Amino acid sequence: MVLIARKDLKLSAGKLAVQCSHAATSCALAANKSEKRLLERWKNDGARKICLQINDLISLQKLAGQAQAANLITHIVKDAGHTEIPPGTITVLGIGPGPRRSIDALVQDLKPY
Amino acid sequence: MGLRSFIHSLTAPPFRHQDSFDQEIKMVLVVNNDLKMGKGKIAAQVGHAAVSATLKCGKKAPGLLESWLASGQKKICVKGLNATHLLELEKLATSKGILSTKIHDAGHTQIPSGSLTVLALGPDIESLLSSITDDLKLL
Repeated sequence: MVLIARKDLKLSAGKLAVQCSHAATSCALAANKSEKRLLERWKNDGARKICLQINDLISLQKLAGQAQAANLITHIVKDAGHTEIPPGTITVLGIGPGPRRSIDALVQDLKPY
Repeated sequence: MGLRSFIHSLTAPPFRHQDSFDQEIKMVLVVNNDLKMGKGKIAAQVGHAAVSATLKCGKKAPGLLESWLASGQKKICVKGLNATHLLELEKLATSKGILSTKIHDAGHTQIPSGSLTVLALGPDIESLLSSITDDLKLL
């Protein structure tokens, strides 16, 4: 599973962590419904997660489209905006759990956050 | 009692479910601040904790999980002093019947393998959680 966060928002560590975990839980729950075996395999394999950075909203949405086209589980997190940023801001894109090869192909150019 | 309300009384969700809907439900993620982890590292560890806690809650208290998801899966992230502090909090939580989940890192990257990185508490009713986590600072 990869969690792709927007670098341009300048979130604090705690906020970033919470947003990423929103994405992670939503993706895991989606997998629990549609691809139970995949979820089990991922969990047994240490529930691997990586947090990556992306430049801006447009690149994030483009990537989300590509991931959906590749039939991967995706989830986009919109913040409720109670704290640091305006309501409805898109913060993180979660992709997976899914086959390593197809995810790597999409995100190989992104840097770790 | 009419037929309709009789059927309703049989099929209505259990009481604990209704009860928990009235109050705010949240999940608290306590990060071990003793370890010097990068932002991304923290985010991934907290993600581990949130997923494990969610799946655990789905097995042990599905009603609570449903209400938490329906109310926007509220999460907050706070600082814990060190591993011992996290373990103390875990003990406290268990004594109050709050679900807790510990995350140990595999240590592929920034920190020694097996370090206790995050403790997740809940999801549970806010008033119950705040008795434990009130004096912790936001991360």
